[in-house]
Amino acid sequence: MIEERVSTHIYRQKQMLTKEELEARESLCVHEQPPYCNAACPLKLDVKAMTAAIAAGDFDRALGLYEKITPFPHLLAAACEAPCEAECKLCGLGEGVSVRALESAAVTWGTKAKGRSLLRKKPTKIGIFGADLMTVFLAGELAKKRYTVSLFCAQSGPEDLMARCIPDQAEAVRQAAARTLAAMDLELCWNTDPAEEYRQRGEEFRIRAAAFSVARTLYPQIAPDPAVMVSRDHGLITGPAQGVLDAAFAAKKAALSADRMAQNLDPANTRGQEGSLETRLYTSLEGVAPSRRIPITDQESAIAEARRCIQCHCDECVKGCAYLQHYQKFPRILTREIYNNVSIIMGDHMMNKPINACALCGQCKVLCPNGYDMGEICRIARENMVFTGKMPLAPHEFALMDMLFSNEEAFLARPQPGFDRCQYVFFPGCQATAVAPATVRAAYRDLCARLPGGTALMLGCCGAISHWAGRYELTDQTRSFLREALARLGDPVIIAGCPTCKQELEFTGLEVRGVWEILERIGLPETAVAKPRPVALHDACGARGDPDTQASIRRIASALGCQVADTPYSGDRAPCCGYGGLTQYTNREVAKKMTDQCLQRSDLPYLSYCMACRDRFAREGRESMHLLELVYGTAADHCPDISAKRCNRLGLKQQLEKEIWNLEVTEMDLGFTIEYTPEAEALMDDRMILKSDVAAVFQNLRRTGEAILDSETGLSVTRSRQGNVTFWVKYRETETGYRVFSAYSHRMKVVARK
Amino acid sequence: MADKNYYTIDPEGKLTCLKCRCKLQKDKAKFLYLDNGFPVELPVCPQCGFVYVPEELALGKVLAVEKALEDK
Repeated sequence: MIEERVSTHIYRQKQMLTKEELEARESLCVHEQPPYCNAACPLKLDVKAMTAAIAAGDFDRALGLYEKITPFPHLLAAACEAPCEAECKLCGLGEGVSVRALESAAVTWGTKAKGRSLLRKKPTKIGIFGADLMTVFLAGELAKKRYTVSLFCAQSGPEDLMARCIPDQAEAVRQAAARTLAAMDLELCWNTDPAEEYRQRGEEFRIRAAAFSVARTLYPQIAPDPAVMVSRDHGLITGPAQGVLDAAFAAKKAALSADRMAQNLDPANTRGQEGSLETRLYTSLEGVAPSRRIPITDQESAIAEARRCIQCHCDECVKGCAYLQHYQKFPRILTREIYNNVSIIMGDHMMNKPINACALCGQCKVLCPNGYDMGEICRIARENMVFTGKMPLAPHEFALMDMLFSNEEAFLARPQPGFDRCQYVFFPGCQATAVAPATVRAAYRDLCARLPGGTALMLGCCGAISHWAGRYELTDQTRSFLREALARLGDPVIIAGCPTCKQELEFTGLEVRGVWEILERIGLPETAVAKPRPVALHDACGARGDPDTQASIRRIASALGCQVADTPYSGDRAPCCGYGGLTQYTNREVAKKMTDQCLQRSDLPYLSYCMACRDRFAREGRESMHLLELVYGTAADHCPDISAKRCNRLGLKQQLEKEIWNLEVTEMDLGFTIEYTPEAEALMDDRMILKSDVAAVFQNLRRTGEAILDSETGLSVTRSRQGNVTFWVKYRETETGYRVFSAYSHRMKVVARK
Repeated sequence: MADKNYYTIDPEGKLTCLKCRCKLQKDKAKFLYLDNGFPVELPVCPQCGFVYVPEELALGKVLAVEKALEDK
């Protein structure tokens, strides 16, 4: 029995990761990094969102996004140098998206949102002396910020000003920009001498800005800081700019400086990230066809061009992982939520289910361009919760009890007859003995006959179950127990039948080989008959990062006549079947999605080299076989239920003890019989109730006589508490014992109150 | 506070304790889990105190409360 957690009122705490460790891990996830186009834009236009809006035919929204970054959308759309276009990921395939043309489309066909700014007019007076592109943009930026702005120009009006500032632009663009300027909430002072106005009226304004030519007239030696567009010596906002985009960006910097100066703050401090950025985003172009730009002549062609955008993002891990798809969260977010879940002392732990649903299979680490290992986060979280007493036992108890059964009642460790110490020990693993006892028996007999120096047999669990459950103390105990048993066999070379066991048994410090490697070395047995058959090979998560095993399996499969079909998710990229990490026990819905994800890859029969995968695929109705079944010509049991799996393990141990070691096996006789209706058997498998649990309930009944009769159904009901669970059985008596109609259980204790 | 009643013996008297040969009656019982207690009313044998937890209750409300407490 494994001790249940004592109470919900436990206040023990342990930090799962230090803040630095957490941040280092989180920073590996690039999902929230800006797309390449957005990062390239110094004005921080959300190109991706704008393109998506146009692709959806929503030009109004596209214009809204565009207007956020500039007071002069017509002008910028016509004249921006568009550094975003060169960074477009599609440039690597064909032609990138024509962002500037899409901006023009937004400006042409989008309708400006009505309604006034919610900002109140600011009384701070700002004087702008002289008009060049930078100061015109600045006037627009400051008007958007609702300052009280006066612009002094030598020109006679908006059209004249635009003709001076943007002489190269088309008449329509100049007119549109002039209209925009005229409509702004600004005091426009035409036909003035800006330098003279500055000298005479400059003091009236709290903040002063000037066109660079005017500034140089006033102060010939002026050298403003280009990072903030301010000359500190003169208390003047000014600076040169080359081209429309540069002017627009310089105006943004200048407007921010004005904001800070209005608050009596140093314009150089706390400015945030300005200008274009470096992005660490990764976007796969797999499956993206090269394409050419579509000339934009109307709304339809604009929509078509916008639809070429692949909306760059990184979801490499999610694409391959049913767990991440199920929770619809990216590793960075998931990690933070798990971290918080583990850190809270009282209240609901909302992330327990996700923590326990991960297969810990390591696929994400391979798929992620930066090696984000979500499984490791979940495993650390599980261990942490076990340490602090916050981990519920219920999700893992059945699996842990199964492990104890494997390493107690069904455990076997014996040297080959005739040897005190053996050169090898065969360790088939708990799933092989549960699902395919005949195959294990054939393999052991073969290895005994063909390997020199004696081959011992060890039937048990490698400790993966407790390791996955985060029960580190139980894992340590299991490892000590296995290590001692191996020492008694003479510290042999371990021949693992399962890739996960192979990985787990590394702790022994002994040489660990896969049975496949040994079979390649000594040759396949006579039972291995080559027969041409196309198969989809499913790589086990235990063999991730083990190219030798993956190659060895393929060579054996090929020798057996298998025509192996690999998929983009073969080898190290293979998803978990749903058994790993105990997902099968903690979250059946996610486990099923994992299995489905594996089976979506091919319509062919599945060949695997982990018995858990083999069993789960068969349960989903797919023709499924384990490599050793083909090698030894022995079929595994067809979808044994949880009781049959235990029965297989125990039965194999007893059979081999009798056959190989000539031991007398005493059959356990209950002294009565138990029959089950097919419905009861199905219910019990679904509810994880073993036939041995039911037998214990009847033994209790015969001791205590405690049962009730429901006259409505005609069924009797009895119960007994075993470990942390109360099992109830609905039955009728038969001549020799009992016939079971249903069984159920609960973990709560129930007592009568007086 | 009144005890929660999640099950009614219907028809009355349909449940018989096979040990004591008497009818189960609605009586006071208590669920205990992870250091928490919940008073309830359930069918109880008046002689031996056998408390019957019906299948639908075990798989419904009891399971839901167990899960809620496990995540505390």
